[in-house]
Amino acid sequence: MSLELKKALYSISSLADLSQEINSEKNFTTKIQSVLYVIMGTFLANKGAIFWHERDKGKLIPVAGKGFNETGSPRLKIAVEHVLPLSKNEPYLLGDGNDTVLSRPLKNSLRKAGAGLFIPIWVRDEFIGVIVLSNKFTSEQYSPEDFELLKAIANQIAITMNNHSLFINLSEQIEKNRELYEEMRLIYHDTIQAFAAAIDAKDVYTKNHSQRVAKYAVAIARELGWNEYDVEGIYIAGFLHDVGKIIISSDVLNKKDSLTEKDLKELRRHPVLSSKILSNIKFPWKDVVKTIKHHHERLDGTGYPSALAGEEISEGAKILTLADSFDAMTTDRPYRGRKDLNEALVELKNCLGTQFDGRIVAAFCKILEKEIKGKLPQPNILPHLDKDFDLSVITGLLEALIQELSR
Amino acid sequence: MDFAVTSKTVGDTAVIYPHGYLNNIAGESLVKECNSYIEKGITKMVLNFGGLEFINSIGISLLLSVIERLNGSGGTLCFTDISSYHETFEMLGLTKYMLIFRNEEDALAHLGRTSGK
Repeated sequence: MSLELKKALYSISSLADLSQEINSEKNFTTKIQSVLYVIMGTFLANKGAIFWHERDKGKLIPVAGKGFNETGSPRLKIAVEHVLPLSKNEPYLLGDGNDTVLSRPLKNSLRKAGAGLFIPIWVRDEFIGVIVLSNKFTSEQYSPEDFELLKAIANQIAITMNNHSLFINLSEQIEKNRELYEEMRLIYHDTIQAFAAAIDAKDVYTKNHSQRVAKYAVAIARELGWNEYDVEGIYIAGFLHDVGKIIISSDVLNKKDSLTEKDLKELRRHPVLSSKILSNIKFPWKDVVKTIKHHHERLDGTGYPSALAGEEISEGAKILTLADSFDAMTTDRPYRGRKDLNEALVELKNCLGTQFDGRIVAAFCKILEKEIKGKLPQPNILPHLDKDFDLSVITGLLEALIQELSR
Repeated sequence: MDFAVTSKTVGDTAVIYPHGYLNNIAGESLVKECNSYIEKGITKMVLNFGGLEFINSIGISLLLSVIERLNGSGGTLCFTDISSYHETFEMLGLTKYMLIFRNEEDALAHLGRTSGK
């Protein structure tokens, strides 16, 4: 086999090495360093570097290197403006007749660092970066065949780097969008909380009621295995479930005497009023409005506004019913004082199957049990309750309820 | 096949055994292994290629880096058991820069003779 043929075969195998590295699953840094090794091994250069054109900063940043910029040797720095006027994807050899087109600072920097050749790499009109190589280890000159091979390699690397750059831009865009979304989400929550505070302020007895209902509902939904997206929906529903009370007279809401038939009729309008007010809002979560509309339905079909029964009532509405009722029981009302936890649990038990769904009550009891035993890092329910309950009585009650409901 | 490198010292000489495929970035461990001996002051080295299965352009560039580093520190690098790769090294013009021996014993004997310098 002639030497020329052997060299040609080595060049072909180098191209194969290059495509193997370019198409590997390795991360970009490893990939580009491997690519540099392929080039250095192909041309027997003992120093090499690949620079990346960072468009935002207008700078050339080294992304792979060997031999250059090692301690003791002068730093290899290349300014973008000195490379831009040069031909695209054409190798420039230092010290030959062609190097007069290179600017003096560029030539000086390359020489001092020990570079012998460099090639600006482009994809169409996009300046991608620069590959720099030292002279050959064997002191042979770069041949015209080397130049042809180097151009082919440079083209491939340019495309790889450009793809990576597009990918980075895309990732950055995604990250920006995510941040923007997160910001909007927080603003949205703040708005809704302010709105809820306005509702609660109208009814002097229900300060922070909406907030607690939202928290309880979230805890129950999570216990039932809801995904975080739907959990956020029920959180919003919890905050807004009483928004219709804005339209109901304060006299009825804050009345100390027992409510008349007429008062009750007025008060019971609030779920429908809430849903009417909210129906114009395009919530990203489905069923927020429906969940709110039906938070006073009862399992036995005697609730309002639609007298839905059993499975006609959505799980979200059932959760909201329990969260709302439990908070109503454990806080003072104009017409009665609050129940302690023991009494509230007994009432939940008594209303099982008529007002409340056993599955929801079971989930609620499990959370309470976990919170009492300190198993939850951030309790949602316990901090809002009176602390003077008898621990053994409560845990006994909870265990009995959970056991009964698991049957 | 993965690349691995082992080594031992014989007197004041380090014998390095690259194993497997020297064809990807994992081969950097060969350079590191050699450098770690140079940093300890050992400048006589034998690279035994008996366990090497394959070498490509990446492997060649890593070898260049070992050769240059050792030459730069005034050391001696001997190659042994390179018969499968001799043709490639020769075609690339590298054999001029390599001290090649048939086997490890010959290389160690040569380095032993130079130990007095």
